[in-house]
Amino acid sequence: MNFLRLISTFIKVNLQMSLAYRSEAVIEVLLDLTWLAWELLSLQIIFSNTVSLGGWGKGELIALLGVLMLVNTFLAMFIWPNTEKFNASIRDGSFDYVLLQPVNSMFLVTFSRITVWRIFDLLVSATLIIVGININGDVIAPLNIFIFILLAISGSLVIYSLWIVLIAFTFWFTKFDNNITILQALTDTGRYPATVYPWWLRVIVTFVIPIALATTIPVQALRGDLSTSQIFIFFGISFISLIIASQVWRVGVKRYSGASS
Amino acid sequence: MPSNSIVVENLSKTYQVPEREAGFSAAVQSFFKRKYKDIKAVHQVGFNIAQGEVVGFLGPNGAGKTTTLKMLSGLLHPTGGNATVLGFTPWQLKPEYLRAMTLVMGQRNRLAWDIPAADSFLLNQAIYRIPDDEYKQTFKELDDLLELAPLMKKPVRNLSLGERMKCEIAAGLLHRPKVLFLDEPTIGLDITGQVRIREFLREYNKRTGATILLTSHYMADVTALCERIIIIHQGSLKYDGGINDLSRKIAPFKLIGVRLADADSHDLSGYGTEVQNEEDADKRYIQVRAEDVTRVTSRMLADLPIHDITIADPPIEDVIEQAFNQ
Amino acid sequence: MFLIFKRMWQVNWAEQWQYRANLFMYVLYWIVQPVIYIAVWTSIANAQGSVKGLSANDFVTYYMAMLIVDQVTSEIVVYNFAHKIQDGTLSGEIIRPIHPILTNALTNNIAFKALTTLVLLPVWVMLWLLYTPIFASTSWVNILLSIPTLIIGFFINFLLSSAIVCVAFWTQRVWALYRLYGIPVALFSGQFVPLQLMPKVIQDISVYLPFQLFKYFPTQLILGKLSGTQILQGYTMDIIWLFIAFVIFRWTWANGIKQFSAVGA
Repeated sequence: MNFLRLISTFIKVNLQMSLAYRSEAVIEVLLDLTWLAWELLSLQIIFSNTVSLGGWGKGELIALLGVLMLVNTFLAMFIWPNTEKFNASIRDGSFDYVLLQPVNSMFLVTFSRITVWRIFDLLVSATLIIVGININGDVIAPLNIFIFILLAISGSLVIYSLWIVLIAFTFWFTKFDNNITILQALTDTGRYPATVYPWWLRVIVTFVIPIALATTIPVQALRGDLSTSQIFIFFGISFISLIIASQVWRVGVKRYSGASS
Repeated sequence: MPSNSIVVENLSKTYQVPEREAGFSAAVQSFFKRKYKDIKAVHQVGFNIAQGEVVGFLGPNGAGKTTTLKMLSGLLHPTGGNATVLGFTPWQLKPEYLRAMTLVMGQRNRLAWDIPAADSFLLNQAIYRIPDDEYKQTFKELDDLLELAPLMKKPVRNLSLGERMKCEIAAGLLHRPKVLFLDEPTIGLDITGQVRIREFLREYNKRTGATILLTSHYMADVTALCERIIIIHQGSLKYDGGINDLSRKIAPFKLIGVRLADADSHDLSGYGTEVQNEEDADKRYIQVRAEDVTRVTSRMLADLPIHDITIADPPIEDVIEQAFNQ
Repeated sequence: MFLIFKRMWQVNWAEQWQYRANLFMYVLYWIVQPVIYIAVWTSIANAQGSVKGLSANDFVTYYMAMLIVDQVTSEIVVYNFAHKIQDGTLSGEIIRPIHPILTNALTNNIAFKALTTLVLLPVWVMLWLLYTPIFASTSWVNILLSIPTLIIGFFINFLLSSAIVCVAFWTQRVWALYRLYGIPVALFSGQFVPLQLMPKVIQDISVYLPFQLFKYFPTQLILGKLSGTQILQGYTMDIIWLFIAFVIFRWTWANGIKQFSAVGA
């Protein structure tokens, strides 16, 4: 279990780093909460004019907001800081050191930065999900909760795979600093159920930039909207995308070291 | 003769660089049919290095030093030839190999900027799976040689360049590598800093018997540490042998720098070859054979309105350029 | 003075042109943002016939007009200038005999807009084809009337944001402050939710705040939804806030520069 030991060391080191910027963390948390208040207000405004949005009630949208916050926390904990580090390491050449360490380079690139204090946001999003479900008065089967968690994880893995592919493109196109803008541009779409969107945007957020896989779909599982075969298809998608991502990464690293030319 | 830790045979690296002329029509043409130019960064280089040897790897900028080091450490695939280090093929990047060697590049940082070096060291301990007792032992040894302890608690960004380099090198040595590739380990350091690193490397080599291959800009690094040097120029091996033989062959020059009253009005061509030197714009430099230094200097002091005069070894790059370009 | 701006323009346009590869990302971002809101509100309006008197078409025209207003009045000064204060590169600009923000940063903003307008046009046409909106009460008079307020609106936003950037002279936390600035903008500008749907108290307050001046007011003006008195009221607030924004900016800049030279960064 060397990976677990490594991750715990990474967490320790990153905790050290964020302690150097304590007040930053407090300010960020307060800002997040303020923005959350704004999001809740806009939901309130929407639902003061209607009882359902695309077949979803207010409580369910609050739960969806919680799931989106979960995804955003995952992005803010791992994806954004590690992208910054990765791009910098490509620019200044210190990525060489990553390759020369006796640990899988994709693992190092994923976990070397962890914004530890974001854990606080996890609590907030969990609260939102629970409150949202309660407002709706839904009775949720324990099995659905279990499936919900698995689907949220597998949806996040799909986003993670996409991220790996995007940053691996840097090995081919050296000037690719804006490699993740596309991810940032689309996370906002997770705020509302994908069923509200016109078909082309639904296709994009489900298959191209699969934000909906990590937001709308897990909540649908919570509502019991998904059939068993659909659930397994989504697990399959995340498994396949992980394999594709690790292969793209492998080829990219080879390309970086000139193995293919 | 101890066994060879590094064996290099006909190692070559050719880059294909897309060639494009300026102008719009050329851009359109190159879109459809790309022309490539082959750049031979390293061309059929071969040498062996025995275990425990310290070898200086020299050559002007762009000669192929760093490319060779990158191939030997495993970062780059060669386009031809072969190399084994400690019996491994480097570019397979086997974890066992990576745990047995280290690459330290003077211009790149491996330590995290915002935290004390001690934390980055702990990270390396985990990455290289160094047992606690062994880690403590190694750290103690490195601390003896480099006096690291007072630096460990400060964030890396607050260290001076010399202090940081000490930590960088130590971070690269925590896993007790048997082979060290050092690319410009003293670059940018002041004289005392350079001397410290040099002494450390000599002592480290003596204590651990590690093999060291290092490149440097500073002749003094090499003369202090290496009995053998390898010179590479324009991608090809030019010299492989003892340092004393080399200095007899190529370093019989000295650089005389003078600061003159009304600097530009004197003709120095009668004393030696005048050369450009960017380090000190106020001074003019001439290059003379080592055995002529005393004679030329006294003549200049007698003839010219000299404010200041210095005598130094010419930069290593110039020497090599001169010796092998002819 | 004209020559300075001309040269500034050449340099800044060249700099922005470097980033043209990012344009594709803007297309995506700009299409998606309004589409989200249009989708949400039209789905409600279609289900119920209208929302507080607003039809589906009203929402489409509102967000499409807002897209243009936002393009004109948005600014990027915090992205392009804050780091200059923090890493000290500003010293080089301060010693030049021109104002770094009111010339260089300003033209850089405008060059950015010029570049992104190249993308905005096709995006707008695409949205038009997707939703076929009817701009029933928009007239040429409305559009002409909106031009001055768009320009004033841009300057209010630019000056207020520049004042925030000047806080970088004292603290490293400009970004947090800038995100904080985003909150009243979201609440009082009508950019995300049309102000007439907001709670009454927010609508009442927003009239006296600058934020709706560079989003909601020009949008409604273009759409022909405002009465003569409302237009007059908007322009009065424009003038007042332009003055206030300029005073705030002047004050933070002057004191910031003092701080900067005292520290000797």
